[in-house]
Amino acid sequence: MTPGWLRALLVLLGIAALFAVPRLTGNEYVLALGVSFATFSVLSGGLNLVYGYTGLLSFAQVGFFGIGGYTAALLVTEGGWPLWAGAASGGMLAALVGLVIGYSSLRLSRHAFAIVSLSFAFLCMIVARDWVSLTRGAMGIPGLPVPVLDLPGLPWRLSRPADFYYLLMGFAVIAQAVIYVVVTSRLGRAMQAVKLNEALAQSQGIDPLRYKLLALALSALLAGIVGGFFVFYLTIVDPSIFDFYYTETMLIMVIIWGPGSFWGVLGASAVLAALPDLLRFTTDLRMVLYGAVLIAAMLVFPGGVGGWLRRRHLRRWRRPSLAAP
Amino acid sequence: MTATRALLEVRGLTKRYLGVTAVDDVAFEVEAGAVVGLIGPNGSGKSTIVDCLSGFQPADEGRWLLDGHELTGRPGHLIARAGLTRTFQTVRAYDELTLLDNLRVAAQESDGVGWLQALGRGARLRAAEAASAARGRDLLATVGLAEYAAAPAAILSYGQRKLLAIAAAMMARPKLVVLDEPVAGVNPTMIRRVEQVIHQLNAEGVTLVIVEHNVDFIMSLCRRVIVLVAGRKIADGPPSLIRSDPRVLAAYLGPARAAELGHGHP
Repeated sequence: MTPGWLRALLVLLGIAALFAVPRLTGNEYVLALGVSFATFSVLSGGLNLVYGYTGLLSFAQVGFFGIGGYTAALLVTEGGWPLWAGAASGGMLAALVGLVIGYSSLRLSRHAFAIVSLSFAFLCMIVARDWVSLTRGAMGIPGLPVPVLDLPGLPWRLSRPADFYYLLMGFAVIAQAVIYVVVTSRLGRAMQAVKLNEALAQSQGIDPLRYKLLALALSALLAGIVGGFFVFYLTIVDPSIFDFYYTETMLIMVIIWGPGSFWGVLGASAVLAALPDLLRFTTDLRMVLYGAVLIAAMLVFPGGVGGWLRRRHLRRWRRPSLAAP
Repeated sequence: MTATRALLEVRGLTKRYLGVTAVDDVAFEVEAGAVVGLIGPNGSGKSTIVDCLSGFQPADEGRWLLDGHELTGRPGHLIARAGLTRTFQTVRAYDELTLLDNLRVAAQESDGVGWLQALGRGARLRAAEAASAARGRDLLATVGLAEYAAAPAAILSYGQRKLLAIAAAMMARPKLVVLDEPVAGVNPTMIRRVEQVIHQLNAEGVTLVIVEHNVDFIMSLCRRVIVLVAGRKIADGPPSLIRSDPRVLAAYLGPARAAELGHGHP
């Protein structure tokens, strides 16, 4: 195991390197990859909290992402709110919605939750398309203005691609730090207990519903905020923000290395955020390819590649002396 | 009889499934410090009683109190926090967590450290976690698994998992522990190990109710045995009386064989 200070140093160097990128290159393509990585890392990190740690298969994350996007867009354009307040409100609304769908379905079963979360994601898209007076329907809200973040002392106009790179990367670092603190605390340990054996956890005084709702609400909050920032980067929000593409990408990021592994999911997010562009020649086939990889991963590595390595590691403990009693 | 109030009081406990009465008006008390055995043939309602008392199944009728506090109808996690913990017949463990973490999880809801304190990682949390790690190591030593403290629970054998489950049920310093078939499917060497562990924990002041199929195990371990047949309590007393109770013999051996032995029903 690497010592703690070395790990902290590596993390700080990594963050410094990420923030140095826009100074080293003005290449918009590279910056776009960075924005994509930052955004997806927050989405997959939240899904990892819900699925990888707490064991709830959730298709609702894209709904939280889009709710954050629409809320921020409407509050900024119609209400004249500053971007940070719009995104924060989007995150809080998403968390509230997450609590409502979680509370109503989780008391039944995990399977009920999976189905409800899937229905919820589709419902979001339908509402975005058909509640025209609020969302402006299928056309969405194009031409979102250049936002201004009122930092103390200097207003920051996010007019260049590098500005959004800094904004989203900065938020991603904060979000990952929050997720890291939770999963390495004993709350994360209790979430794992709920995933691994819910009845046992309950017999030990753990209230499974509380931990499930905590994971869900926190992931919704982060997804909603990042959605609020992301739509201003796109300069448009329309019903495609609820596209299944986001769900599939998040799922593959969480599943491929190992659900319940903080660094594994972060690494997979980095690789897979770059991958679509490496696979540019197969734009039409990309989702098919993702689906195939997802199925193959489930069949060959049910616990992800990391889970497979962990199981190999178990053999170290299985010495002959243990087999006796 | 002593004047002290019983630690656990169960009154009129009844549970029905689709018209079948699995537990029928069962009442008993458990004195603090006792080791009480609960035996009965298959389907006599033993495990249903455990599930009801621990909040894993709703009872249809009846009340139960722990140390004078009403537990009737409360959810499982609150019953555990009130001081009544249990193990499971189908042995359960957190396979991917280490043995020590398996135990530390079991104590974390009862040490009074809240969520924000848990995230803040302040002195209070560190003290509580250090105390629970120390207790976890002690209990692992008691059940003879100390050398695997850092290993994931997945490596344990069936009998070792039963011992880990007993240790986990003790972590939060419960007032009463219900063990659901602690030696079912366990080899004779490990049965003696479980017996020693139960004696040691009882000597430390833990009150236990042990549900078992293995009658010899219960008869040698408990000074008081409750016998259930078809959901009803038919006998309650020391093993010497239980062994010669005609109703118990009839239930276990059948009325004809019991009559041959001279204890048959009229």
